Amino acid sequence: MVLRRLLRKRWVLGVVFGLSLIYFLTSTLKQEERTILDRNLLEARDPDHRIPWKVRFNLGNSSRQITQCRNSIQGKTLLTDELGYVCDRNDLLVNGCCNVNAPSSRQYICKSCLANGCCNIYEHCVSCCLQPDKQPLLESFLNRAADGFQNLFTAVEDHFELCLAKCRTSSQSVQHENTYRNPQAKYCYGESPPELLPI
Amino acid sequence: PCQNITWYLYSVALFFNEFLLTQCLMIILLSLFPEYIVAFNGYFTAKARSHFISSALRSAEALDWHIVLRENPASDFPSDFEVVQIRQASHSSLLPLEDHPYIKRVTPQRKVFRTLKAPCNNVTRWTQKWQSSRPLRRTSLSLASGFWHATGRHSRRRLLRAIPRHVAQILQADVLWQMGHTGSGVKVAVFDTGLIEKHPHFKNVKERTNWTNEKTLDDGLGHGTFVAGVIASMRECQGFAPDSELHIFRVFTNNQVSYTSWFLDAFNYAILKKIDVLNLSIGGPDFMDHPFVDKVWELTANRVIMVSAIGNDGPLYGTLNNPADQMDVIGVGGIDFEDNIARFSSRGMTTWELPGGYGRVKPDIVTYGSGVRGSGMKEGCRSLSGTSVASPVVAGAVTLLVSTVLNRELVNPASMKQALIASARRLPGVNMFEQGHGKLDLLRAFQILNSYKPQASLSPSYIDLTECPYMWPYCSQPIYYGGMPTIVNVTILNGMGVTGRILDKPIWQPYLPQNGDHIDVAVSYSPVLWPWAGYLAVSISVTKKSASWEGIAQGHVMVTVSSPSEVDGEMTSTVKLPVKVKIVPTPPRSKRVLWDQYHNLRYPPGYFPRDNLCMKNDPLDWNGDHIHTNFRDMYQHLRSMGYFVEVLGAPITCFDASQYGTLMMVDSEEEYFPEEITKLRRDIDKGLSLIVFSDWYNISVMRKVKFYDENTRQWWMPDTGGANVPALNDLISVWGMAFSDGLYEGDFTMADHDMYYASGCSIAKFPEEGIVIAKTLKDQGLEVLKQETVVVEGVPILGMYQTPSEGGGRIALYGDSNCIDDSHRQKDCFWLLDALLQYTSYSLTPPSLTHSKSRVAPPAGSDRHLPERLEGNHLYRYSKVLEAHLGDPKPRPLPACPHLSWSKPQPLNETAPSNLWKHQKLLSVDMDKVVLPNIRNYRPQVRPLSPGESGAWDIPGGIMPGRYNQEVGQTIPMFAFLGAMVVLSFFVVQLTKSKNKPKRRKPRVKRPTYFQQQQLAPTGKNPTV
Repeated sequence: MVLRRLLRKRWVLGVVFGLSLIYFLTSTLKQEERTILDRNLLEARDPDHRIPWKVRFNLGNSSRQITQCRNSIQGKTLLTDELGYVCDRNDLLVNGCCNVNAPSSRQYICKSCLANGCCNIYEHCVSCCLQPDKQPLLESFLNRAADGFQNLFTAVEDHFELCLAKCRTSSQSVQHENTYRNPQAKYCYGESPPELLPI
Repeated sequence: PCQNITWYLYSVALFFNEFLLTQCLMIILLSLFPEYIVAFNGYFTAKARSHFISSALRSAEALDWHIVLRENPASDFPSDFEVVQIRQASHSSLLPLEDHPYIKRVTPQRKVFRTLKAPCNNVTRWTQKWQSSRPLRRTSLSLASGFWHATGRHSRRRLLRAIPRHVAQILQADVLWQMGHTGSGVKVAVFDTGLIEKHPHFKNVKERTNWTNEKTLDDGLGHGTFVAGVIASMRECQGFAPDSELHIFRVFTNNQVSYTSWFLDAFNYAILKKIDVLNLSIGGPDFMDHPFVDKVWELTANRVIMVSAIGNDGPLYGTLNNPADQMDVIGVGGIDFEDNIARFSSRGMTTWELPGGYGRVKPDIVTYGSGVRGSGMKEGCRSLSGTSVASPVVAGAVTLLVSTVLNRELVNPASMKQALIASARRLPGVNMFEQGHGKLDLLRAFQILNSYKPQASLSPSYIDLTECPYMWPYCSQPIYYGGMPTIVNVTILNGMGVTGRILDKPIWQPYLPQNGDHIDVAVSYSPVLWPWAGYLAVSISVTKKSASWEGIAQGHVMVTVSSPSEVDGEMTSTVKLPVKVKIVPTPPRSKRVLWDQYHNLRYPPGYFPRDNLCMKNDPLDWNGDHIHTNFRDMYQHLRSMGYFVEVLGAPITCFDASQYGTLMMVDSEEEYFPEEITKLRRDIDKGLSLIVFSDWYNISVMRKVKFYDENTRQWWMPDTGGANVPALNDLISVWGMAFSDGLYEGDFTMADHDMYYASGCSIAKFPEEGIVIAKTLKDQGLEVLKQETVVVEGVPILGMYQTPSEGGGRIALYGDSNCIDDSHRQKDCFWLLDALLQYTSYSLTPPSLTHSKSRVAPPAGSDRHLPERLEGNHLYRYSKVLEAHLGDPKPRPLPACPHLSWSKPQPLNETAPSNLWKHQKLLSVDMDKVVLPNIRNYRPQVRPLSPGESGAWDIPGGIMPGRYNQEVGQTIPMFAFLGAMVVLSFFVVQLTKSKNKPKRRKPRVKRPTYFQQQQLAPTGKNPTV
């Protein structure tokens, strides 16, 4: 009886209503906030998101005086500098550039590269990719970069870095995960993956 | 027991183990005889207690006793016991104490020690009891089994053990912190399961990237957080380099799936970001995943220091994981806090080089990997065991070390590895395939690195084939004339540059005063040392003139390494490799056993299934099947029986059979060249004996055990059974012998020994004169295929045969290799091997076998058809014998036998130092030059003590003070305020309403009358409103 009478009182009903309203509001708002957070988190991977390409195509031409070169660092015997010269490790100058006068040095070598833009030697791939006429190809590739590459190619700063990164073997270079699609020509500056050879 | 065989392959696995402590832990109760606990009847003050004891002991005057002071807060209060130290105590001297009216009893004081040592040292014994070494890892891999030991649970046990487990402080990282080195400016990449945003332990997470197909960056497992914490946590469980720049790469999903292609893209990004140190607490057995291996080379070539976990597949040998087994990677094994090699830590040697060569020494170093504390997934700390814990310990130490070096140009993957190796402390009594160069010593590495000059060095830095146990297995068998050359695979580390080469030819310089002229040495080496490393294979053989000589011979190999240098063209570094060997006279033919390695194939590259089909969770035969890997126990046994065991890494045509008593072919998967079959037949006619341990081969079962490999996304069909029985049958058919395609399993007794037959075949055909033993076994083939259990009686499993020709050899066949293989062995049958060797080498027929009731008439082979090769198998892809051909694969032309070109000796008239190891350290490193401050009890600034931390190690939940939690603090009052406003407005509305309509109140005022009316009419119904 007392309970019923109590329930009939408006202020009691009001308090009950108020509390439930608070609960409702807090829970919905909280949920909303969580989804917002999640979206923030995933923003970097949103497929519709336009990638702000930072690549500047400052092409290495001979007129530009360069004092310090970056080069491809890793090579067993060969290196490619950022001007597109391929040379022997022994012909590397102190500033990191290839010695242009050394007999082994050549600019823009595509010697081991196939028509599809895949090369046998990494240094050749980088050198070939640095060729000025490859710029439209690279730009079109950048605009349609595959999903998995966004992390990589949004971080690329210029033409040389792009070529270094593009020529490396990647998820596009393998079949059945542990085998190269084409072990002979696996370094590609072009858009297409290496030609698929049977195992 | 093993129906429904399901297989799965792992190519990459996370490395962590559940606490092994529960299995390994032993409590030793040590009775410290001079101390006794005197318990009283009630609580007395210290003075009263002392008085009681002295009055009680007054009678025994000669007794030398005193009360042990207990300096704890409780000592001010009355107590009911006292600890008394009594020298020369006997039972009678305690009697007066016990007679005292206030003393309840006297008990000896016992101290409790906890150590992992005793049972864990016993690993070899254990393996035989264990069904498998793998389930440990398997179970730990599934998160559902809850391998985390959450903080707070088992806290009692932890309290005893927690204090020394602060790994950064045990390794004295605080000395470097105090000098101002905290890892700042070093980029560390953690390739793992990710990390949550704003974890309270990390101050400098530069970037988190996701390379998996799950759309999250957060760690759902806790593995990645733990690893990152060991490297860079700044509070609670402190990491090594809290100021380092963390790059989190999420390459593992919450379901522990990962693909090579994800790694390739992630590695490319790491190169682009110019990462300095990269931790990979991840690995798998597939060292033939070329895209992955090439990529790791590419990374180190770009100066990324790779640190990787060696694997959790111990204590079995030959269980190293890739990429930790690569020369350019720092492979880390695990030890516990008592400096025992952790049971789970994978053991060497590398198996890339088999069958022709010999494995390299790995792991490189070991460090704490058992019960180490690191960051929990959201907050707090956790304990974890596994080599994936040991790896970030080294990665963290390396990060800290990099930040101490002023000239960063000097730091590269090779120089860092050289510094770690040269400074490591060797653990006593442990061989190099378990400990590598020893235990990480951070401060010595710091000293070496800071006085480092670019140079080449060798790992191992010397060859002492007499040094036991470190140089096991070399020290287990002396060399002699006519034996297969002993190969030592030395790794050259080149700190001068990413590429290098060996100038001229390595020079062999025997020491004439130390009999150096008694050995020949041949050296082969990598044409180019890239990246940062290469091999130097030293083959040692005894000269003919020493055929009956016994003694120790010494000398050294001198190698000059050169690297291109931008400054002055070439840089060179010359290293000496001391060599010391023990020579004995050539043992008699009967004592010499030759192990056929050439015909053993393994995973990778192909799917070669496990020899024991019951081991469902370890489907692959991947340990190399070498006498120094998974046949190690058998090798040790044969050595202890006095046999000399050599390894044949070339076709059967390439050895002189007149030197050997017995050729052992165990679990062979390879085909045979026709020339080999004829040569073996001739050899056996001339007195060589043959022992074959076969294994199962059944086409239906092979079809049944095919599986879809998630990692390579293709179906995998086995290319052979446990062994290649059809090929073996081709080899032994000339003697009228053959194995069947039956598949049997079961326990039995043979010559009073308990035996277990684990997925073996039976003998289908045997010559009439032979001895054949048959047993009752279960047909496992039916079990696998139809889930039916059928017991078969009289399965012929063992056969012994003397060939009829004059002086001809003997042949012994046994259908199952599992009882001499260390992996998954349940019951060993070394006694049987002994008996068979007695038979083959000495022609002694074991009476326990010949006169046994199990002896049956040799099967004629008519009732059972022999196994045929599985149609469409891809064995030719991995075989050294077959090559693809239209129709069936055909044998290749027989390759030439390996030929060693012996170095021309340049004798020296000098003697070697007595201790080769101490002598061999990095050149031009002056340890005294770099001085370390000597200050203890320093709390570094990077370690802000949080309020709950002071004494306790575990902070149960709780919000850590700091800016990360500001958000939460702001939102809660906002909601409260909003709610209050709503309620307030509701009341305001109510109030105004009631003021406007005062009439409504009237009925309420009249209520008493209403109630009265009710009472007047008791039969009436209550009104319902």
